[in-house]
Amino acid sequence: MLSVQALKDWGANTQEGITRCMGNEAFYLRMVGMIKNDTHLEQMEEAAARHDLAAGFEAAHALKGVLANLALTPALTPAAQLTEMFRAREDADYQPLLRELRTQMTALREMLS
Amino acid sequence: MEDLQGKNPQSASGTPHGHTRTVMIVDDDQINREMLGFIIQDGYHLLYAENGLDALNQLRSRPQPVSLLLIDLKMPVMDGFELMQHLREDEKLRQIPVIVLTSETDAEVDSLQRGAVDFIKKPYDMPTVIRARVERIIELAEDRRIINSVETDSLTGMYNKEFFFEYASDMDTSAADGKMDALVIDLDHFHLFNEMHGRAAGDEALCQVADAIREELEKTIGICCRCEADTFFIYCAHRDDHQEMLERIAAHVSSAYESTLHLRMGVCTRTDMVQDILGRFDRALAACNSVRGNYLTSIAFYDDELYRHDIHAQRLVNEMRDAIRQKQFRVYFQPKYDVSGEKPRLRSAEALVRWQHPEFGLVSPGLFIPLFEQNGMIRDLDSYVWQETAAQIAAWRDKYGRVIPVSVNVSRIDLFDADLLDRLNAIRDGNRLPGGALLLEITESAYTEDTEQAISVIRAMREHGYAIEMDDFGSGYSSLNMLLQMPVDAIKIDGGFMRAIAGEQGNAWLFDSLVDIARHLSVPTIFEGVENENQYRMIRKAGGDVIQGYYFSKPLPAEQFEQLIEKDKRESQKNEEGTAC
Repeated sequence: MLSVQALKDWGANTQEGITRCMGNEAFYLRMVGMIKNDTHLEQMEEAAARHDLAAGFEAAHALKGVLANLALTPALTPAAQLTEMFRAREDADYQPLLRELRTQMTALREMLS
Repeated sequence: MEDLQGKNPQSASGTPHGHTRTVMIVDDDQINREMLGFIIQDGYHLLYAENGLDALNQLRSRPQPVSLLLIDLKMPVMDGFELMQHLREDEKLRQIPVIVLTSETDAEVDSLQRGAVDFIKKPYDMPTVIRARVERIIELAEDRRIINSVETDSLTGMYNKEFFFEYASDMDTSAADGKMDALVIDLDHFHLFNEMHGRAAGDEALCQVADAIREELEKTIGICCRCEADTFFIYCAHRDDHQEMLERIAAHVSSAYESTLHLRMGVCTRTDMVQDILGRFDRALAACNSVRGNYLTSIAFYDDELYRHDIHAQRLVNEMRDAIRQKQFRVYFQPKYDVSGEKPRLRSAEALVRWQHPEFGLVSPGLFIPLFEQNGMIRDLDSYVWQETAAQIAAWRDKYGRVIPVSVNVSRIDLFDADLLDRLNAIRDGNRLPGGALLLEITESAYTEDTEQAISVIRAMREHGYAIEMDDFGSGYSSLNMLLQMPVDAIKIDGGFMRAIAGEQGNAWLFDSLVDIARHLSVPTIFEGVENENQYRMIRKAGGDVIQGYYFSKPLPAEQFEQLIEKDKRESQKNEEGTAC
């Protein structure tokens, strides 16, 4: 069962997220719940695998936007770093950050299930 | 896409007229859309779009523009910048204020340069600030629109009608003994000018007229406005002759174009204070309309004759309802003869309405039909004629054992009546008539000017078993291409058109072409207004199918029409006997 406390324990800045939802906890949790269906991580992984940095940027940017709005900090941090790497079309190893993001997203999705 | 109603439509965000303003959020991410929607939902009607194209389609299909657009920049299919570009190119949509949603600091300046009025930073840190900004931007945009639009016409910069009358009344009050004239200037057939030269040239011509009028008014006391598309009102100091002024304005405009624009003017001079300002312009307009299409006279004064004409017209309008109740309208029947065989045979008839007025005697349909078309009463008159006609067809069926189809007119206004089919069906079924008994005549111009509406209604009528005759063919502007797409069961060639081609030497081939066109469409041709042997022969020679006109018979009251039915019956019996022998 998803709760504000669980998100807070995980590291989300829930206070900030709830403020952005006009102080409405239930609405905040509903929005966080919708991440369950988000596929941007998978798109990012596929793009990285085929070195399509433009597509990687699109997906990373979109995911970062959502995570930032909901203040889901543990996943936001690697997503933001990936966005900047993809944006600069850096010829670097994206895997460590992708793995980190995957770990955090998995932890989040487990809370949602 | 979703279309969610804000929770509290009664909040301060409603318009002064009590409507809830509509805001559209354009963002490809559903969570972001919903969060922003949640922040601003109170008091706004919200629309959501998931990319620029989706937004554009929704905006274009709305009759009313939205009050504000909140646009994300990075989106698939069509991004925010491209959407803003499309908005700027669209005359209607460019009025909508845009706030850009972005997390990119460097996109802000770019957004403002591309037409955004403000931006909201992602993530949405200060919801109350966002709400306040949304409210403020809508308020500013509305204020700006009001200031710009209220006083002047956006094309010519002249006063709009309301302000014009306001100022004109002020002039009356402040200069009570100064004599002022109400003038109306109108451009003849301006829609044709638009069609020939394009809308932009048409707008330019209107601006030229406006400039010329302004130039004239610098020499006198007066104000002007553009009242409608191509109609200008002028309120100026009295002078005995306005002709020169009109000629100068016409010369100014014509010098700019190769084709001459014909201007006409109506004048109501201020001889007394009886009429208020609106009344005087009504009279000037009536005078102006009295010289519509008259290329010899371009100026008309409202005088006693026009006054009597107006009063007469008003009386007819006022008395129409009573006249229907008292059955002052009589339906006459003009026969249509099938001339495709050896001998002409009575095939059907057209119902024509006559007004036997107790005081004025027989009033010409040419006089009262346009009046009733103008005020919408034609609908009632049409229903009356349909009912009388259907009852007569039924009476003849019972008396002669034969259904004689009769065509009735369906006016253009009827085509916009949602109850049209119900009205027709009730009349047909009430008289227990078969499908083809009531033929419906629809004028060619209804097909060409209200094409979509006409075609969809006509299709529905045909599905209900009515046969459609396209009336007045040749008086409008149907192209062959249009004709091929039009649902129609017969083409009636306009009498004036028919006489014009019958009268001109060397135009007989046009008869053949008309008949060929109809054959191509697999429908019969009906020639109306046929008056003499020569026309009759030409039509027969060309292979025309049906003839209506004084050559065979004028429109007759039902009792007299029966003699034609009986005569046709005798002819038919004779033929049968002949065949039997």
